[in-house]
Parts: sequence; C-alpha cells; structure tokens
Amino acid sequence: MITIESARVRFASTEGGAPMVALADVSLTIARGEFLCILGPSGCGKTTLLKAMMGLVPLDSGQIRIGSHAVTGPGADRAMVFQNYALLPWADVTANIAFGLELRGASREECARQAAHWIKAVGLGGFEHHLPRQLSGGMQQRVGLARALAVEPEILLMDEPFGAVDAQTRRLLQEDLLDLMQRSGKTVVFVTHSMEEAVLLGDRVALMSPRPGRVREVIEVGLTRPRTASVEREPRFTELKEYLWERLRAMRDEAADA
Amino acid sequence: MAWEGAALTSGSLLLPTVEATAWRLIELAGTGELWHALWVSNHAALLGFALAGAIGVPLGLAMGRWPSADWFFDPYLNVMLATPMPAAIPVVIMVAGLGLPARVLVVVLFALATIVFHARAGFRLVGWELLEMSSAFGASEWQLWRKVVLRGAAPGIWLGVRLGAIRAVSAMVTIELLLVAVGMGRLILDAQGSLDAAGLFASVMVIVAESVLLAHLFQRFEQDASQAAMGMAAE
Repeated sequence: MITIESARVRFASTEGGAPMVALADVSLTIARGEFLCILGPSGCGKTTLLKAMMGLVPLDSGQIRIGSHAVTGPGADRAMVFQNYALLPWADVTANIAFGLELRGASREECARQAAHWIKAVGLGGFEHHLPRQLSGGMQQRVGLARALAVEPEILLMDEPFGAVDAQTRRLLQEDLLDLMQRSGKTVVFVTHSMEEAVLLGDRVALMSPRPGRVREVIEVGLTRPRTASVEREPRFTELKEYLWERLRAMRDEAADA
Repeated sequence: MAWEGAALTSGSLLLPTVEATAWRLIELAGTGELWHALWVSNHAALLGFALAGAIGVPLGLAMGRWPSADWFFDPYLNVMLATPMPAAIPVVIMVAGLGLPARVLVVVLFALATIVFHARAGFRLVGWELLEMSSAFGASEWQLWRKVVLRGAAPGIWLGVRLGAIRAVSAMVTIELLLVAVGMGRLILDAQGSLDAAGLFASVMVIVAESVLLAHLFQRFEQDASQAAMGMAAE
C-alpha cells in the first residue's frame, strides 16, 4: 500500500520570484495491486507526484509511505517508466533492459537471462541487438517497460509512457500493458493526460488540478477485469469519459476566470 | 604547385623552391638539429598538455555535474580562454622565469579552458533524463559516472582534447618565438636571422605537420566516441 499524506512540493522560481507550488497538500492511498491513473491538465503536478513516489523529488512537508516505510529515495521496490523513454543511446536492447539489474550487481548470466525473458514478454523478439535509434517510439517504450519490469518491482510508476507515440501504436501498447499487468498483481501508478487511457487502464482515476497542484477527486472506474479494449463500447466507459472531460473543462474555466 | 611556380618565376631569395626546402629538411633531420629542437619544444608541450588534460577533463565534468563548481570556476576559465596568448606570455615569464616550468605553464594556460569547456559541454550532452533514470534505478554516484557519464560525455571530452592539443602546440611555438628562443622556435628564428629561407620553410612545415597529425589522431578518437555515444555503431 502507498500512503501519501499532505505532500507538499515547491520549486524555486527561476526568476527569483515566489516559489512555484507544484504539489499543495496531496493525500492519497493506493491499495496493493491497484492500477491507479492520475489524470490532469499539464502543470497540475502529476509528474511531480509520481517522481516524489519514486523518491526523485523530495517533499517540502508531508510524507509518502510504502507499507510502513517512508520514501526517502529510490528503492528496489519501485521502478519507473519514463515519458521520454530515457534509454542509453549507446546500449543495445538487451543491455538497456538489463541496466537496472546490472546496477544492482546481478551477474552477466543473470542479466542476459532476464533480458531474454522480458524481450519476449514485451514482444521485442528479434531486436535483441538493435540500438534505440534503430527502433520506433513504441518499441523504445517497450524497452523502457521491460527495463522496469526486469528489476521485479512491487510498484510500477509510469509517467505518460505512451504520450509520445502515434494513436495506433498507443492502442497496441495499452492492450499489451493491460495483458501484462492483469496477470502480475503489481501496483501501478500511471500518469496520463488522456481520459480514454485513464478509464481504459485504471481501477481508479485521481483527478488533479493545477496551480497549485492538488487532487480534486478520486473516481472509481468500476469496469470489470480482466479488461480488453472492448470495454470502450460499454456505456459506463463513455459515461466516465464524458464526466472526466466535464471536470477538466470546468477546471479550465475556473483558471480562465481567476 | 602554386608555391613551386611562384618560387621559380620570382627567383626570389626569400621564397625557396619546394626542392630546396625538402633538401634543407633532410639536412636538418640528418644533423639531428631538427630532432633535438622537436624534443625540446615537445617536452614542454607534452607536459603542459598532459597536465591540462588531467586537470581539465575532470574539472569540466565536475562543472557539468555541480552548479556550484561551475559558478566558481567559470569566470576564471573565461578569462583564460579570452586572453590573447602573446600578451600573457611576458607576465608568465615574470612570474615563472625562463625555464621549462614557465613554458609548461604557458601551454597549460592556453590549453586548459578549451578542454574544460568541451568536457562540460560533453557532460551536458548526456542529458538530465539519463541521469534521472539512473538514479531511479538506484545507481550510486560511482556507477553514474562509470556507466553513464563517461560514455555519454566522451564526444565532448575528445573534441576538447583535440582542440586543446592544437592550442598546446600553438602555445609552445608562440613562447619560443616571442621570448624563450629554444626548440622549434629557435630553429625558425635562426633560419630567419641567417636568411635561410629553405630552413625557415622546412621548420614551419614540421610544426604544421605535427599539429595536423595530432589533430587528426584525436579526431579519430572523437569520431569513434561520438558514434558510439549516439548509438551509431556500424551494424
């Protein structure tokens, strides 16, 4: 279980003005094995919240706990998938996937064995020795996902992982992620700016609003699992999507009035 | 070709033919005069260049990593980079004398900033995304440097080393011509003084050749590192 209690993060402003409040008093509980999507307009602090869970961004006040342990930095129980893939450009697919294991001191054989397993699991067979620049964006993110899964984290933190790929590729990646995660029992926190994506993937959707970043509302998705992309035809899916869009639009209007 | 043509038609004393220059070069090499001069000059250049590299590469990378180091060193290095070389040499000699240490110091002063700034640019080439990713996967500071920074920054480092080597040779010759007449600088001055045009051309050519050779050598390293870092290995 992840417990976030009154988390606040401020960033020093670059022009020496008042510090920017990225997260204002965010509290949220994420159950073990849950798939939580964090949805919000850009600048709402959703990425900051995710990085705080990873231990990459320190809190100014409040606390984030995994089980009973407070997060003070990155840890082996969590792994992250990055928006911009963040692959080592000089390393091939195998070496990139094994990077986390290598840092943890796994033997060469162990790295190779695990990499081979995850290459197959994410559908990259035949690309073992390709370099990142030889792969499409979608395939690069498959490498990013495999690298995170290879360290066998309990919690997977995903920062708009499919934001930079085209619509068709994104759809395939979403379906494959559903497939992989439903069998794993891992806790997933997934940041997105897409309403469809949030409803398709999440057990719950946490809706955030910007300036200052806070969680406005947590919505139960309530669609059955195991889920496939066919849930998009269910009335509940459309209803939720519409609701989220209304809420996001209301936030925009509020911001415009302010 | 143009040189040979000009020399033949003008019949000038000051413009030697290619043939005369080549003979003079062989002659200088034969007496050992050339080798001695090259050794004396390069002794200072090599020591200075090695020192500049040993300080410059780690310093530049550190300035990339830690803003406080950058804030502290950047102004001094900027002055170092901007100072016209011949103007600063008399000052160095006042401080350090006329010996080898003074010449080494001049070489360091003129190669260092170039090496530092390129190493820093190399560090920035790695990108914060990879640094953040590495810490997310639990990389220690040591692992970060060894597995990520040195690989990613290599193109910048080698470019700085190449340009630094060229500046080192240039500094070495400048100080010898201006104030401390030893080595290749002495050879050039002697030839000039005795109106030995062929000798002058021969000496200058040797220096140019050395500089080009060095530049070419490090360019190879730079290109290899660059292709490897960008993920462009031949396959």
